[in-house]
Order: sequence, then structure tokens, then C-alpha cells
Amino acid sequence: MKANISALMDGELGAPETEQSLQALREEGEALEAWRAYHLISDALQGRALLASHCLHRVSQRLATEPVLMGPLPSQVVTAARAPWFAPSALAASVAAVALVGWMAFAPQQETAPGLAPVAQLPQPAQPAPGNNEPARVPLTPAAQDYLFAHQAYSPRNSLQGMAPYVRSVSVEALAPGKP
Amino acid sequence: MIRALGALLLCAVAGGAYAQTSPEALEWLRRIYQATEQLSYTGTFVYQRGERTETSRIMRRAGEAGGMEKLEVLDGEPREIFRTRDEIRCYLPESRTIKVAQRSDARAFPALLPERVSGLAAHYDITLGETRRIAGFDCQAILLSPKDDLRYGHKLWADVRSAMLLKARTVDRRGQTLEQITFTQLEIGNVARSKLRPPQAAREWRVEQAGAAPADLSQAGWHLGAELPGFRKILEIRHMLRDTQPVGQVVFSDGLAAVSVFIEPWSGHTDAARIGLASMGAVNVYTRKVADHLVTVVGEAPAASVQRIGNTVEYRPQ
Repeated sequence: MKANISALMDGELGAPETEQSLQALREEGEALEAWRAYHLISDALQGRALLASHCLHRVSQRLATEPVLMGPLPSQVVTAARAPWFAPSALAASVAAVALVGWMAFAPQQETAPGLAPVAQLPQPAQPAPGNNEPARVPLTPAAQDYLFAHQAYSPRNSLQGMAPYVRSVSVEALAPGKP
Repeated sequence: MIRALGALLLCAVAGGAYAQTSPEALEWLRRIYQATEQLSYTGTFVYQRGERTETSRIMRRAGEAGGMEKLEVLDGEPREIFRTRDEIRCYLPESRTIKVAQRSDARAFPALLPERVSGLAAHYDITLGETRRIAGFDCQAILLSPKDDLRYGHKLWADVRSAMLLKARTVDRRGQTLEQITFTQLEIGNVARSKLRPPQAAREWRVEQAGAAPADLSQAGWHLGAELPGFRKILEIRHMLRDTQPVGQVVFSDGLAAVSVFIEPWSGHTDAARIGLASMGAVNVYTRKVADHLVTVVGEAPAASVQRIGNTVEYRPQ
């Protein structure tokens, strides 16, 4: 039902499901709770200051106490993954060889000792199954800046706007998500 | 009922969507492209998404060696981006970091070349809009209305005389503004070389080199499934994120909008990444975990498109 409420808000729900969802909302149960929560989330994400001031304050306080889940990498973790292919000298080597060796490092490890799999201990927040399921709406992480910067360089929009669209990758939201 | 309302809204917004792409509008896009290449200018623009705004100053010197460009955010910390023909440097005082992307590494920069402009008409109805004065310039509006739900709509305003882009707005299918870049002041003409200097960063700032190089992800067993209609693969590279994390990047584009898929080993992420969908203005970021790898899809396209591309990522070793 929650997925339907979310789809309803986005206007992406078919007619029969829409009717069902509206009925569920009338019953003032879990569906209505989800409806309110999703709107709150959506308002907070878009930085709308339309919420009652104490409410926004409470939400901000809660966010501030939340741990930052995606920080910079400790260098020792990476040392293990550091293959010779990205040493500067390797770049000068033949591209084919570099690509071949390089992509070996990207191949998932098929047999990892259970104790060594860091993933096993990680808390997994609402992992969306690929398919029709609505993914969890999440805030931007500080890592988003790196992706935005790397992405922008290859956007054809630069051809029409010069460097102006790069402003996204250094905007406050991208650099310090959650800060005003 | 809601659906009917939506359909009605769509018709109202799309309005002129029945209009066919006009040759005049295509010619305007070509002129904007040329102006972007050839003009030197100094200006101030406002970047707006939702109720947030940020003001930046931009300077461009055209000419020898591909020109130079500098963007400086004027609100908050003085973040700067400096571009030469060969590289783009991003100066971030808060983290005392300089991020460097080498442009020569990835030879084929996916530019929207004038000869490709007409190809856009396959996915957008491109028409002329009203004329209007912006920041003292008489501007012509050009509308790009998407033919399907897979991409956003755009409205551009360009100076009638120079074809310099003064304003660009990205809208969703309901016609709501997702983000907008508007010049509030602009001076077209020569920019002295002395004015275009890289920022004076302290020596101890950390320099992060991306070091991009061509790559072939399928060789390592990565498959990016059927492509989204109208979006084709334009680039496949690998580089470094944060100086330590090797990442593969595949870029898809319909000629205007681009969607990047990043694939990197999960092991680098000591904390749980935020699995799910995040958005900022017209940019959607979709994060998934596939075969012990983190897949991050970033694009200026609707959430559903970004998600669809992300969901095709598969690992199938040979």
C-alpha cells in the first residue's frame, strides 16, 4: 500500500489502484500516515519552509543527530584494492592492456571468506528490488558531489550553456547535504 | 479521476506540443551552440531549484587553445571551477580539496554538435516561443517539449543579437520548474587574460586526480541491458573518485540529457551507502548494490528513466 501511496503522490498510479488508495486514505489508517510522512519528507527534501516551524525544527534536530553514513574512505581499505593499473606509469602503457588489467579489479570477488565480507555486517537500509518497486527516497550524501562533478563533464548540455551547469556540482546541497 | 486530471494538465501544459519542430527553432539551437563556443563574456547568474537559489559569477575567454572559463559561487564558501582546454579544476575550500578532471584523457567529449542538433527532433518538439527582455537583452524563447515521459522539457532564452543563452529552465511533465539558470547581468566582449586566473589555493590543499581512461566494462562481466529509448551509450571510461576509489562510468545520452552509470567495488564503502533515490533540482541519483558493487546512476532525467537504466545493470561473468 505504501508503494501505491508514493506512486499516487507522483501521479503515476493506474485508475483501479488510485481508487483503492483513495479508499485506504479515507480509512485514516497506515495509508494516511504514509501519505503524511511522504509529504513531510518531500517538503523537507525540497527545502520548502511551509512546514510549521516547530515541526521543521524537530526534524532538523533528528537529522543532526543521525550518523553520517557515507564518509571519506580510510586509505588502508583501498590499499588492498590498489592495482598497478592506476599508477601514473601504467596509464602510459598500452590502453588495451590497461583496460584489461583494470577491469579485473572491477570484477566482483566470487569467493570471499565470510569474515572478510564487510557487506555482511552492514545495516542495509530498505534495499529496493529492481523492478516495479518504488525505491526508497533518500537524501543526497556528501559523495554525490563527486558523481555530479564526474557526470557534468560529459553532459552535452555544456555545449549550449558553457560551464554554467557545473554549478550543480558545487552547490550547497551537493557539498553539504542537509545544510541550509 | 486523478488520472483524468493529470491528462488534462498535461494537455494544458504541453499546449503547443502538437506543433512540429520548426527549422527556425533548430537554427536557433545551432546559433546558441556557436555563441557558446565563440563568445567571451563576464556575467552573474542565479541557479535556482525549488526555493533554493545560489548566485555565481562566470567568466569566459574564447580563442586560443580552446579558451578558458571560470565559475565562482558567490554565496557561502567561495567555491570555484576553472576550466582550460585540457582540464577542469574544482576548488573546494571547505574540504581544502582540488578535484581535477583531465579533459584530454577522454578524447570524445560528447558535444552537442551543430550537425547533431536536428537529431534532437526525434525526441523533442522544438519550437519558438515568445520574445522577452532578460537582464537588458532582448531574448527569443526556444521550447524543447519531450515526446515521451523519459526526459524533461526545456525552455531556453537566447539573446536575439548574439544568441548567447541568458536563461535555461528545466521542467517536468507537469510543466513544473525543476531548476533554472538565469543571468542577472551579462557583458559580452573581450575578457582580459589577467582577469582569468586560477584561484589562489593554498599549497597544502589535497589534489584529487580523476585520471580518466577508456574502458570496457563488458570485458569484466558488466552488462547494462537494453537501453532506454532514445538514449544511447556515448562514453565508457574508468577513473578515480576521491583519489582512492576506482570507478567505471558509462554515459548515455539522447543528445541533450545525459545519464551516467558509475560502478565501483563495494569494499571501499565502509559505511552503508544510501540505497535508493535522491534528487536535486533536475538531477536524480539512484543507488543500487549489484554483485558486491555499488551502482550509482546520475542524470538530468526523470527518476523513472534514471531508475530504468540503473535496473538494467547486471554482472554476468563469462
